[in-house]
Amino acid sequence: MVSTVRNPEAKQKDAQRALVVALTCQELFHLGGAEVSSSEPYAPGVAFPLLQAMQVVNERLLELNPEETLLFDVVLLAADCQQHQDRIIATTRHYGLDVSRFCFCSRDEFTHLLLRERTHLFLCTDARQVATASHTGVAAALLQPAPSRPTQQLRVLFCTDPADRPGTSQQVCQVAGLLGAMRSRLGVACGALSIILLTVQGGRESCGRALLTLRSWGLGVDEAYCLAGAPGGPALSLLAPHILFPDGSALQA
Amino acid sequence: LTMSDMKPNEAPEGDENGEEKDWAAAKAFFENLKTNKPRPPKPRYAVTIAVSSRTLFNMVAERKIYEEDGMEKYVAYQVEHENEPLKPGAAFPFVKALMTVNARLRELYPDSEELFDIVLMTNNHAQVGVRLINSINHYDLTIERFCMTGGQSPIGYLKAYMTNLYLSKDSEKVTEAIEEGIAAATMFMPETEIKLSDTQLRVAFDGDAVLFSDESEIIVKQHGLDTFFEHEREFENKPLAQGPLKCFLEALGKLQRKFYAKNERMNCPIRTFLVTARSAASSGARVLKTLRSWGLEIDEALFLAGAPKGPLLEKIKPHIFFDDQMFHIEGAKELGTIAAHVPYGIGQKYHRGKLIEQPAKDK
Repeated sequence: MVSTVRNPEAKQKDAQRALVVALTCQELFHLGGAEVSSSEPYAPGVAFPLLQAMQVVNERLLELNPEETLLFDVVLLAADCQQHQDRIIATTRHYGLDVSRFCFCSRDEFTHLLLRERTHLFLCTDARQVATASHTGVAAALLQPAPSRPTQQLRVLFCTDPADRPGTSQQVCQVAGLLGAMRSRLGVACGALSIILLTVQGGRESCGRALLTLRSWGLGVDEAYCLAGAPGGPALSLLAPHILFPDGSALQA
Repeated sequence: LTMSDMKPNEAPEGDENGEEKDWAAAKAFFENLKTNKPRPPKPRYAVTIAVSSRTLFNMVAERKIYEEDGMEKYVAYQVEHENEPLKPGAAFPFVKALMTVNARLRELYPDSEELFDIVLMTNNHAQVGVRLINSINHYDLTIERFCMTGGQSPIGYLKAYMTNLYLSKDSEKVTEAIEEGIAAATMFMPETEIKLSDTQLRVAFDGDAVLFSDESEIIVKQHGLDTFFEHEREFENKPLAQGPLKCFLEALGKLQRKFYAKNERMNCPIRTFLVTARSAASSGARVLKTLRSWGLEIDEALFLAGAPKGPLLEKIKPHIFFDDQMFHIEGAKELGTIAAHVPYGIGQKYHRGKLIEQPAKDK
């Protein structure tokens, strides 16, 4: 049983022109352990800094062009959370979050919902959910836990390695193109959004090729790091991305 | 004392598994490549030299565009010209010399990871990186690791890449690196060009406030030369404290000993020089004894007793000369030596022997 609720507080985006990002309720807020009857707003969850950073990007884009339609359009998916519905909506309003709509459903309707909402990008900390979404044809990436030094800048990392499955899904290309268009509109000097490329195993040639590949998809990279086998852990914790597109499993434990 | 003991800021405990996995995968990748390209060494065992884009290549004209016309125009210009290789910069001869040493080391020790590892460490935007990569390709430099931070500070990355020496044009970054315990120096392009050796890496170091701490220099500045001479004689047998470049000299010494072990002392492709204003008679002994107490060798120790360093360096022809005093850097540059300023110690508060007036702090 699926119900979609628009957020009246948020300015609705043009879903045909926006970059639709789906987040899960369980990651935006701390739902667990709370009494059902309480009306206190939930505490922020792991996806909170990401959403705030996306909001800043939207603000900058609108500053440059008040008619801008290429914005982040955030959909909050809540599986098996019907009883929390009112409180979820109230919490969103309490923090003034730019969430366009809420989708309440049961767990097995989840992936169907992603497609129905024409999600361009599904973000989640759970690698298996990310893999499931990818297989269903929705571009998905890992949501990273908040870094020790939080930043207002939205940091999107593409991890590329030569020894991986060849080819990348068409959906990822599409997201890359949309992100690239956003990045271009903001201008090189704007610090609201940073696109990062990380090559873990390969060397200069691999990284160079990846830079040009992403460019051919319409995405200009801001920061590039090539490790060629140097330890990935310390580098990744310094890079502190919000979003990580894993091209391989090199960085996953 | 192994090579890995000289790495500043070790990787955190518990990450060894991850480190080993990353390394093994990269090693396999490189070994499977069809080319004869030498694969990069394991960072833990290598002597890692991080060079900035402006020290590796001559980017003076492009820098001007950045300063006068701003970031957008600068990046656009670089992208437009990205298939034109950049000209060599101040660190270029040094990097080529490092590659020469690596080739010799690989011949003698084909399975060793104790090599020079050259990392490009730049603040530049990754779109400019395409031109940098193309330029590296053009000169066939063995640089497989890089950081293009797009404006972020490189200091954290210097540690993540286990850097032993950082060379940059930006004295603020260099100062920050030294404060974090990483040997670093600001590079200067010489005014004329000297033909340098292409078979031997030649590195020259000033003594006080470079290899050694600035404790003796403080005495000169505050109490004058006579006090200094007396002090050095009195404390001749007390080793000086170490300076920011001591560990780099130590790393060079480790690699030199690998050649000696294979009977290559006469043909060693690394040669080190001490070029100090101290005089052999009155204050030189302490320096030599300090080096000995550290178990370090230096191939040639040259005591100038206050004479200018420029003419001597012109004869030595080092690929790089480290000094803490801008006065000596300028003297070296004028006569064609590639000089690198180490912004450390009391010497930074003086210019040509006079204390620099610090502006009064506003309330």
